[in-house]
Amino acid sequence: MTVSLEATFREEWPRAVGILTRVLGDLALAEDAVQDAFATALERWPRDGVPRSPGAWIVATARNGAIDRIRREKTFARKAELLARLEDIPADEDADVSAIPDERLALLFTCCHPALAVDARIALTLREVAGLQTPEIARAFLVTEPTLAQRLVRAKRRLRETGIPFRVPPDHLLPDRVPDVLRVLYLVFNEGYAASAGESLVRHDLCAEAIRLAKLVCVLMPDEPEAFGLLALLLLQDARRDARVGPDGELVLLADQDRRLWDGDSIDEGLRVLRRAEALRRPGPYQLQAAIAAGHAEGAPPGHIAATYAALEQLDPTPIVRLNRAVAVALAGDVEDGLALIDGIEGLDGYPYLPAARADFLRRLGRNEEAAESYREALALTDNAPERRFLERRLREVTG
Amino acid sequence: MKYALLVYSDQSDWDGISEEEAAERRAESMPRWITLFEEMGKADPDVGGKELVAASEAKVVRVVDGETVITDGPFAETKEQIGGLFLTTLPDLDEAIRIASLVPAAEYGSLEVRPIVER
Repeated sequence: MTVSLEATFREEWPRAVGILTRVLGDLALAEDAVQDAFATALERWPRDGVPRSPGAWIVATARNGAIDRIRREKTFARKAELLARLEDIPADEDADVSAIPDERLALLFTCCHPALAVDARIALTLREVAGLQTPEIARAFLVTEPTLAQRLVRAKRRLRETGIPFRVPPDHLLPDRVPDVLRVLYLVFNEGYAASAGESLVRHDLCAEAIRLAKLVCVLMPDEPEAFGLLALLLLQDARRDARVGPDGELVLLADQDRRLWDGDSIDEGLRVLRRAEALRRPGPYQLQAAIAAGHAEGAPPGHIAATYAALEQLDPTPIVRLNRAVAVALAGDVEDGLALIDGIEGLDGYPYLPAARADFLRRLGRNEEAAESYREALALTDNAPERRFLERRLREVTG
Repeated sequence: MKYALLVYSDQSDWDGISEEEAAERRAESMPRWITLFEEMGKADPDVGGKELVAASEAKVVRVVDGETVITDGPFAETKEQIGGLFLTTLPDLDEAIRIASLVPAAEYGSLEVRPIVER
């Protein structure tokens, strides 16, 4: 498949799956219809050229295929009703896609429904909303293709059997559901940004997908400041990707990064998006995290960054935020205070960055023996090769 | 979608309390029951529901090698037992969860939302 065809497929998949799910009332059936339409496209487009409106062509072809399939089906209850609803979908292959009802937001909320396991939400979102193929998702998450395919089949079965609705949630549920959606995107990004296993520290394809999805969410929910906050955060973090890994693939801490390697365009875009979020005047955890990342990008004083972390802890008092605040406080020069904050954190057992940060504080305070103990503790908790090399190097420094 | 809402609670909470105390507890939960029945009636006028006699009165029946074996219930050593159930038709899982959260036992026990297989 050529690159442009692949990009078109990814772009058009959620629109077509969305409208077909709305009409057929079942994601798995919709997927089959759209998959068939794509197979037809793959056969015809290289020969006849890409149609004027690829999205409308795919929807019309999927619609016609679904109608044929349902007509042949003998046992389909609701056959007449389904056919009538399918016939309401525009059949004009050249129509402007704006003529097709946009069901992508409903698709996104359905894929991120809290009744699904988190793994299933991530896999479904990448498959249905990002339009990635099953083998691509399996590769990105380092699981076998059958495992991932099975995860998707189970998730789709659960959607159908438990009655998870296909819709944008009503207003009273939105304050709970929007963070669920944003969290899935953030998890996708993080999986790419800090690959939890394997030799490569950053798997950029996943980061790029998360950013693409976040942009789509901003288009679909233009009044949701946290969507813009998340997009800004992802852009600002992604801008540092090249500086974050050294020549031998080892982790480079923010303070030691070569700022010339930061991606200026990505930073500018992130700052613009953050201003857009802040203009909506409803702060939230992603906006504050983006503000922190913006502070790093713009070289704000460390004390200012530590203060923004304190504000974030007010809104989102999780152990991870406390840990990051402790690191910011130490970076601002108050290493003793940072150490006290870190020792007050509960509920992060087994998280390697806590002993790693603690070890760093102790090293800077010259308490080498205690530092070595914490480095060893961190080493016992991570399998990521570059991170291990980094920790081993520091361990040698304090024991040498 | 059809759902069974299974009501679980620790029935030993009601053991050895006086009639007055039991009446008081029931009176306390009345406003919640009223809200529940109002909302349920709106969501599904045909909802059905039954309260079950205490699990300690249950008989457990098994056929082992062709022979019927009867033991006293409850058969599992779990603290919470099914005390009743609702059968209802609702538009989707979100609505089933909302209705389940209105059942008073959701506060002191738990509600299990089980979709019913339709063939």
